[in-house]
Amino acid sequence: MRFCLILPMLLLLLIGIVGSQGCSPVAAWERGNLAKKEMALDPNPKLNHLRDHIFTSREASQGGASGAGGGCGCN
Amino acid sequence: MLIKWLFKLLTLLLMMGSARAYALHEGQTAPQCPSALTDKGQQLNLTAYKGKVVLIDFWATWCGPCQKSMPFLNGLRNEHLQEGFEIIAINVDENTEEAREFLKAHPVDYPVAFNPKGECPGIFNVEAMPSSFFIDKTGKVRKIHLGYRDGDQTEIREVISALLAE
Repeated sequence: MRFCLILPMLLLLLIGIVGSQGCSPVAAWERGNLAKKEMALDPNPKLNHLRDHIFTSREASQGGASGAGGGCGCN
Repeated sequence: MLIKWLFKLLTLLLMMGSARAYALHEGQTAPQCPSALTDKGQQLNLTAYKGKVVLIDFWATWCGPCQKSMPFLNGLRNEHLQEGFEIIAINVDENTEEAREFLKAHPVDYPVAFNPKGECPGIFNVEAMPSSFFIDKTGKVRKIHLGYRDGDQTEIREVISALLAE
C-alpha cells in the first residue's frame, strides 16, 4: 500500500520539477532588450579575441586555451 | 487508489502543456490591428487597403535584418505604387521614440504604424523579426516571409508581381 502511494508521488514530484521551471518563451518582437550589446555573452568580442591571442602565446604551456605560439605573440 | 493518482497526474500534464490557441496561416483573412497607431495617432485600418496588394512588415530598430530590408522595401514600394501596391510597416519597439529617431535618419516613403505593447504581432503570430505578410487584393494572407537575407529579394519581387497580376 505504501509503495502504491510513494511511486505516484515521486512521479508527480519529478513531473512537477521538470514542468514548473521558470522558463517561458520570449516572443520574437519582445527581444529588444536581449538584442542590446551589453546583453551579449561576449560584449567585446574583438578585444577578447586579441587578449586571448596574447594569453595563448604567452601561456601556451599552461594549456586550457589551446597551444599556439612560442611566447613572442607574433603568431 | 493508483487510478486516482494517475488521473491527477494526467490533469497536471494537461495543465502544463497548454498550446497556443491562435495562429495566422496563409490563406486566412488578414486580421485587424487597431492597437497599432499611425504617425498621426489614428488606429491602423487595414480594410482601407482592400483592393490593393499589401505587404505588412513587422520591424524594430534593434533588428539588423529589419534595417537592412528597409531600403529595398522602399524601392520596391515606389516601383509598384502605381500598380496598387503598398507597404505598411508596423514598428514593435517598446520605446517608440527610438523608432521615430531612426526614421528621421533613415526615412521611408511607406506608412509606418507603432505598436509598442506588441498586441498586433501577437494577433499576427509573428515568429521572427522581420516578418512580412503578403496580403492580396481580397484581404487574404497569401504568403508569410520570415527574416530577411540578400537572396530573398528575388522571391519577394516574384510574389508581389504575381499578386499584382491577379
